[in-house]
Amino acid sequence: MRANVWSGRNEVSVETVPDPSILNDRDAIVKISSTAICGSDLHLYDGYIPAMKRGDILGHEFMGEVVEKGKGVGNLEVGDRVVVPFPIACGDCWACKHELYSVCENSNPNSGMAEKMFGHSTAGIFGYSHLTGGYAGGQSEYARVPFADVGPIKVDEDFSDEQVLFLSDIFPTGYFGADLCDIEGGETIAVFGAGPVGQFAIASAILMGAERVIAIDQYDYRLQMALNKAGATDVIDFSKDADIVEQLKELTGGRGPDAVIDAVGMEAAHGHGAVHAIDRVKQASRSESDRGHALRDAILACRPGGIVSVIGVYGGLMDKFPTGAFMNKGLQLRTGQAHVQKYLKPLYEHIRNGDIDPSFVVTHRLDLNQAPNAYETFKHKQDECVKVVLKP
Amino acid sequence: MSSKASITVLGSPEEVQRRWADDQYRPGYIEKADAAVSFKPAPGDRGTEIHVDLEMTAPGGKLGEMAMKLTGKEPLAKVKDDLRRFKAQFETGEIPRSDGVPEGELGERKLKQRPAQPLKQNELQKAGV
Repeated sequence: MRANVWSGRNEVSVETVPDPSILNDRDAIVKISSTAICGSDLHLYDGYIPAMKRGDILGHEFMGEVVEKGKGVGNLEVGDRVVVPFPIACGDCWACKHELYSVCENSNPNSGMAEKMFGHSTAGIFGYSHLTGGYAGGQSEYARVPFADVGPIKVDEDFSDEQVLFLSDIFPTGYFGADLCDIEGGETIAVFGAGPVGQFAIASAILMGAERVIAIDQYDYRLQMALNKAGATDVIDFSKDADIVEQLKELTGGRGPDAVIDAVGMEAAHGHGAVHAIDRVKQASRSESDRGHALRDAILACRPGGIVSVIGVYGGLMDKFPTGAFMNKGLQLRTGQAHVQKYLKPLYEHIRNGDIDPSFVVTHRLDLNQAPNAYETFKHKQDECVKVVLKP
Repeated sequence: MSSKASITVLGSPEEVQRRWADDQYRPGYIEKADAAVSFKPAPGDRGTEIHVDLEMTAPGGKLGEMAMKLTGKEPLAKVKDDLRRFKAQFETGEIPRSDGVPEGELGERKLKQRPAQPLKQNELQKAGV
């Protein structure tokens, strides 16, 4: 089959590789109809996530048709149309029983490696380095899906691929980020990053009853999407004024947002001159893996007693964490890879009810063979790129 | 270097101990090393803790340290592999395998990962699939 593989920093290529096969009873094989490039794939592309190997198949957002299944998969039939969540979860361990699927205790067969890095292992993830298991990803014609009796959700034919594909990651991830903010109605929420995940965090905060949602980015076209499609009430374009904290205070009568969502992660673009320069040098020399401006500003901007929700991906260590502001303001820091399996059914219902049509983020539709160009376009935000869907 | 390893398995002490002794689940390396193994209930609903100490000998067993020397370079890593595999098999009924680590959790694989792409036919046989 054809698959998009990692070939080194800033290099992916579409190659012919063996077809996947069933390795365990609870596996299924899915023939992929649509797959997407995630912002977090760019961290791999840029070489900031450790434990990548040449030839690794990328991609953790995909859907398609079940073409084969192991004898332990009772809930799916060959021919079913499914969307596959990016975290691989067994459904049986203590974490899964408590709906903490992204920290499944069993699905990462490189748990020893992960423990060295993070203290504990987290769930396996498709196409996301050997630290999260060394699983082949879904930017390919077929994928093997372990624990297929737990993860995939069946979807009806009356929805297009683009309407349901993002149940695999970015819609639940954005929703999870908003869910961590304990929204009860009337809150002001700031969202750092108006990429695809930020768009869904904004839309989800509005769905949950937030009164004001402020989108923060440096690309006007993304801020326009946040305003016109996701439902943001205000925007901050930091290419015009880099002092985000001051602007957030101004927009909130000095209070600061009740909660701040970091949908940026480890390759933040803004930051005050000197600190940004130090971060760039340290990250380039691999003595700091995470550039943390978004998280620093989130902590400085959040109102005292508020919540900072981190769904942007970080991989290792960062410097200059504002511990003083974090502690003295009495903030809560809540984080994680989304527990996608927990959100699949309720979010599918939201799509069915017409509360949201997730396809609004798609700007580029390309053949899988064009993956190398698509990564470049997405990375450099060319051609007003927000979200790329690839067709195998 | 620590000689101890532990893991928590979601099951009652009785069930965990019963399966620990079952051929289908047998933790091969830990048995061979004759290490001391103890089981105790975890607090709340967390299941059962399994503690292994390579420096202690199992009752009536041979000297643990000697066993360590005899059975390989990184005995603790092998003990941990056994524990993780036991936990996974107990809880999920299978040993999770990926393309990078087709045999399932394996200390020796840490630095010798396959690329994350499907296995060829001859590799499948070698990985015991």
